[in-house]
Amino acid sequence: MNDLHQDGGTALTPAALRVAGVSKSFGAVRALRDVSLEFRAGQVTALLGENGAGKSTLIRVCSGVMQPDLGQVIVDGEPVDWRGPIDGIRSGVVVVNQEPQLVAELTVADNIFLSELSERPGATLAHRKRSVQRARELLARLEMADYLPSPETVCRRLSAAERQMVDIVRALSHDPKVLFLDEPNSSLTHQETERLWAVVDRMRSNGVAVVLVSHRLAEVYEIADHVIVLRDGAFVKDGPASEIDQESAVALMAGEKKSEVISELETHVVGDEVEPALTLRALSGEGFDSVDIAFRPGEVVGMAGLIGAGRSEIAAGVIGLTRVRAGEMRLFGRAVLPRNPRHAQRLGIAYVAEERPTEVFKLQTVAFNLTARVFDRLSRLSFVSRRSTNATARDLAQRFGVKAASVHAPISSLSGGNQQKVLLARALAAKPRVLILDEPTRGVDVGTKAEIYALLKHLARTENLAVWFISSEMEEVLELADRIVVIRHGRVVRDAPNTADPTPVIAAAMGVTESDR
Amino acid sequence: MFGQQELGLLVLIIVLALIVNAANDRFLTPTNVANLLQTVTVVGIIAVGMTFVLIAKEIDLSVGSVLALSAVSAGYLYSTGVNPWIAMIAGIVTGGLCGLVVGTIVVFGKVSSFIVTLGMLSVARGLTQLITGGLPQQMPAELKFIGQGRVFEIVPVSVVIFIVLVIIGQFMLTRTVFGLRVTAIGDNDTAARLGGIPVARTRVAVFVLIGLLAGVAGIVYSTQVGVAEAQAAQGYELDVIAAAVIGGASLAGGRGSIVGAFLGACLLGLLRNAFILLNLSSFLQQVSIGAVIILAALFDQARQGNLGSLRSLGSSLRRRFLARR
Repeated sequence: MNDLHQDGGTALTPAALRVAGVSKSFGAVRALRDVSLEFRAGQVTALLGENGAGKSTLIRVCSGVMQPDLGQVIVDGEPVDWRGPIDGIRSGVVVVNQEPQLVAELTVADNIFLSELSERPGATLAHRKRSVQRARELLARLEMADYLPSPETVCRRLSAAERQMVDIVRALSHDPKVLFLDEPNSSLTHQETERLWAVVDRMRSNGVAVVLVSHRLAEVYEIADHVIVLRDGAFVKDGPASEIDQESAVALMAGEKKSEVISELETHVVGDEVEPALTLRALSGEGFDSVDIAFRPGEVVGMAGLIGAGRSEIAAGVIGLTRVRAGEMRLFGRAVLPRNPRHAQRLGIAYVAEERPTEVFKLQTVAFNLTARVFDRLSRLSFVSRRSTNATARDLAQRFGVKAASVHAPISSLSGGNQQKVLLARALAAKPRVLILDEPTRGVDVGTKAEIYALLKHLARTENLAVWFISSEMEEVLELADRIVVIRHGRVVRDAPNTADPTPVIAAAMGVTESDR
Repeated sequence: MFGQQELGLLVLIIVLALIVNAANDRFLTPTNVANLLQTVTVVGIIAVGMTFVLIAKEIDLSVGSVLALSAVSAGYLYSTGVNPWIAMIAGIVTGGLCGLVVGTIVVFGKVSSFIVTLGMLSVARGLTQLITGGLPQQMPAELKFIGQGRVFEIVPVSVVIFIVLVIIGQFMLTRTVFGLRVTAIGDNDTAARLGGIPVARTRVAVFVLIGLLAGVAGIVYSTQVGVAEAQAAQGYELDVIAAAVIGGASLAGGRGSIVGAFLGACLLGLLRNAFILLNLSSFLQQVSIGAVIILAALFDQARQGNLGSLRSLGSSLRRRFLARR
């Protein structure tokens, strides 16, 4: 790459962190191959690539968590010799991870200054009152006081977005020169992301080199100045965001495999005359109220809304995880009320939860994970047949395109996208008639996303499955849904066919009244 | 059936046995091996159940007391004129009931099994004293063969029972719906619940299982000695947990092996026996058994690749050393 690269419009700024010829392998896997690139001060750089492209490894190498096998990390012109993340932080390189690592029982202030606990002797007093005061000052200085509840609040009570903010404030308390944000917006709503971008913008004006990793391209492009694309552990291309647009970035990330991910909109609206597989009538429960929705066989219904709008809560009520207070549910016309997820599954309603770790049996094999919902069916007199288990697992792995060395490989050896496919296959192994998916592709790479979308559409059409997915990614809702239901404050505020136009959906989710209605 | 942990254990046992035999050639005689196995049956039988409990991410500290309560119940019923076989079954069922009580409180009262079984440890021991008034209960002569009989005049009956239970246990764990459910619950409770696995029922069943096995162990123990004493098997819970952990069971749940627990129990027995045959200090025996438990857990972690930090520590030390030069 060219060190004297001139950005379109913006003046050349110095490199805050440079990576020269870095390689890193884990056993036989070459996570980074001779990567050279730089992150400039006062710029927001989007680091793009599919899962497994080497972004996470690059961040770990740049922040001192790992040492490269070959090559150097250069900060302010000096090659570094770091032995741990603490050394990186001392040099001003700070990482905000995807999952905020907070101590839930401590306050916001305690969490912001958590690293001080490691620096001071254990026998000294923790100045909790003073740290609340310091947290206030810090928030005021960062102009972020409005984004968080009082610093005395215990983190257990915070929303996912607020936790993310605490993590970011903590990172900013170190006055970073280089700040890595790893999927900071993956669990944020669009509105929350905009607030986050405002913070990022301020950091940029203060001369911080911000590096952004995210699968939500549209949002990334709202803020990024510069784009770097990695593929299979190698540097592919970099350039100003104005030159590498979203479509070319996707093409660069995917390489030869797929150039046309954002496919033509092809919806399949099932008419009212078809008897719904699942009907919710005036359903009320914990976090939702008077919900009316019909899910028809063959149709993919996308449920949009802000985080905390009550979408997951509706699903939890439907599968009997929480109690339904009022209203009724009908399954092909028959009134039902699942007592628990087991009952729901027997009735033919399958559910996959939103966070992958809550669903994966992490110590077991791929085969175990694939068949975990059908142990009973693979057994005679409760003795499980190995042969039919393996056959079922192989069949599912093949149908759902799970890439694994063998079904006997540990599930932990699979990439996130492949694990997600396993979860999907597992839910469908029980041959449900209604499939509920909460955030079906969170943290999954672009190529696998497209595969999952194609698979879900195909299943809905060919097996007459009613699919209901919850998603906070507008692109995903527009890409996958036949019909879009918008939830706000636990109620249905919009239920209409997908027209590929995000405006009315976002407007409904945010409570903006449309003038033309 | 034989994973790395089991194979490693087997090799370790064989090597140790050969070493001890080199020092004392009475060690690998059929009689001594049979006796050695007989000494591990009580701990080993309960270790089968403990492996299930640990895989389900639970623990049972009450097994020693439940063993005694089962034995004493059987002996007491016999003394009141009950048929010896019915007394035996009643004793085993008593163990199962203790497990049922524990399991129900753990599952529906949502109290951690550590606390509930710590309580049961005391309750069951106390009940044992209440029943016997502190006096040993004579075990029926009809049942003496369980603890003292030998098949073909060489293999103890109790060892046969132990091995049969190990085989059934391993089969249950890996080939039945119940075993897979236990694994699923211990690995990821939420995923199991969302996947429609009857979490509560399975978890209660695991405690009933270990209770029943403690009951069986109680019958074996008391027929070996001939009497059921109130103070029987005190502190056995530690040996049982040790055997299961040496065998590869993880206290974090989701992983374990019955064959491993069998070998773990054998290794513990072998060490004890070896120290006696070699006339070594019994204090040293305690030290070495403790060390084996810790080493087994460390070995397991290393095998899981969880000790990567050690390796990176090594490489950073190496880098530092090389840089200094």
